Amino acid sequence: MKEIRYRRVFLHAVLMLYIGIILFPLLWVLNSSFKTNKEIIASPWSLPEQLSFSNYWNAWTGAHVGHYFTNSLVISVISAVATLLLGTATAYALTRMEFPRLSKFLKRILMLALLVPAGSLLVPLYMLLRSMYVYNTPLALILPYVTMGLPLTVFIFSAFLKSIPSELEEAGIMDGLSIYGLLWRVILPITIPSLVTVFMLNFLNNWNEFMMANLFLTKEKFRTLPVSMVAFYDQLNMNYGSLCAAIMFSVIPVMLIYFILQNRIIESIKS
Amino acid sequence: MNKIGRNPFAYALFTIPTLLLFVIFFLYPMIMSLRYGFTEWNGVSPARFNGLDNFVTAVQDKYFWMAVRNNLYFIGFSVGLQIPFILGLALLVSKVRRWTSFYKTMIFLPTVLSTAVVGVLWGFIYHPQAGLLNQALEAVGLMTWQHVWLAEEATAMLSVLVTNAWQWIGFYVVLVLSAIYAIPKNILEAAELDGATSLREAWSITLPLLRPVIMVMILLSITGAMKALDIVFVMTGGNPYGITEVMATYLYKKAYRIGEYGYANGIAVLILLLTGMLTSLFGWFTRKQEEVRF
Repeated sequence: MKEIRYRRVFLHAVLMLYIGIILFPLLWVLNSSFKTNKEIIASPWSLPEQLSFSNYWNAWTGAHVGHYFTNSLVISVISAVATLLLGTATAYALTRMEFPRLSKFLKRILMLALLVPAGSLLVPLYMLLRSMYVYNTPLALILPYVTMGLPLTVFIFSAFLKSIPSELEEAGIMDGLSIYGLLWRVILPITIPSLVTVFMLNFLNNWNEFMMANLFLTKEKFRTLPVSMVAFYDQLNMNYGSLCAAIMFSVIPVMLIYFILQNRIIESIKS
Repeated sequence: MNKIGRNPFAYALFTIPTLLLFVIFFLYPMIMSLRYGFTEWNGVSPARFNGLDNFVTAVQDKYFWMAVRNNLYFIGFSVGLQIPFILGLALLVSKVRRWTSFYKTMIFLPTVLSTAVVGVLWGFIYHPQAGLLNQALEAVGLMTWQHVWLAEEATAMLSVLVTNAWQWIGFYVVLVLSAIYAIPKNILEAAELDGATSLREAWSITLPLLRPVIMVMILLSITGAMKALDIVFVMTGGNPYGITEVMATYLYKKAYRIGEYGYANGIAVLILLLTGMLTSLFGWFTRKQEEVRF
């Protein structure tokens, strides 16, 4: 018995060590975000001398992180809402309505999008957006984000729909609901939890997206948070404390969503 | 679902917007990329068809080959080092009874962060003066081990690979864990009754049963490596001297240099081709193995 206990302690010790590797960089940045530049260089390991939020204030106003934060928020939310609207309607049509051939074809196209690396589309997409005169407007991100978010949304929502018994819809039909009424009044209310999950997943993807944001929206006015972070980092005369605070602004919303939805997010990768 | 499911107008309403977005922002750019891969085009004046010229240029381009090599490093690193590590870690988590969901949550955590932010964060860790790594080495007296990690030939690529691993290991651990949990309990119990040690059980029962998920991991590693872009872009931009360049960052550089849109699209075609080749080679290889086994 004793041997088994030792083994358990050993197991936990190893896992804790790995979690330390995960958390340490994040905690170090959090810690540094409260320090002055001098402190970061002179005593990298110590806790901050005083708990001052001046780095956060500097980053938010001085480095305009607040502005970029808002840009990211607006673009991510609009894209995620649009993806959800289109994705759920499409998923419903593909799984519940009777046009099997077309549905199969559509599913194939959506699958294709999961296989093609987004990187190879960057250049032609850039040319296309330019010729459509949406380059350097928020639409230059919203349209691709919605398109990229659709496959996952349709697949996850289709899986949920398959688990709903069709008796519910039949009852709805008896009550005289149209197809729109069915989707709106019968299906959507019982799928709210999955809708929230899918919305959040898309939001996270949009919030984190970097390459397109960097290429398609170069106007400073519209710049998103990840792009501003990299630009900020590239400036040589940087202020380490403010950089750490800026990183935290980008990490905290993601963490919040993650800790609220952790089980669902982890479940969703199995599919 | 009688009549109501056969409403063509509703079906069109539900699918056409999605289809339209797909055609415009996915299919059309994909076809454009394939087409312009065979032209000389500066992005402004009309494209001129030049057959296979771009591919000939690529084959003779030293920097293109460096990029290919780095994509292969990505694959080698993830298949050779990450996958064994991931399997070990997942087996450990599957052995603990307590705090399992805590471990899962924490291990998965870096996966949800933005690659740009992960790149900046690790760029800061590798920073020559203020960075965590060099300061840690100094604290334990290993000053000679200090490096300008992202700017030296010997360490730049490895530093990027480690960062990439830090971000993505959690995703695969969770994937493997769910496969481990799916193994019927009685198989493992039978092994325990026969007196198999944990190591023995892992080696001769769990790992063979994990074959399918290991295959999926290798496949995802290959496609993931070929997609590698933003982590390199953010951390090094391909520097120093193209030492850390990957195909996608090279494509990007060529594309935004006026006069080389055609060549850039040629590289895009090559990325697709190479990815297809590697994955089907892998598929062929595993099928061969399967034949030997049975």
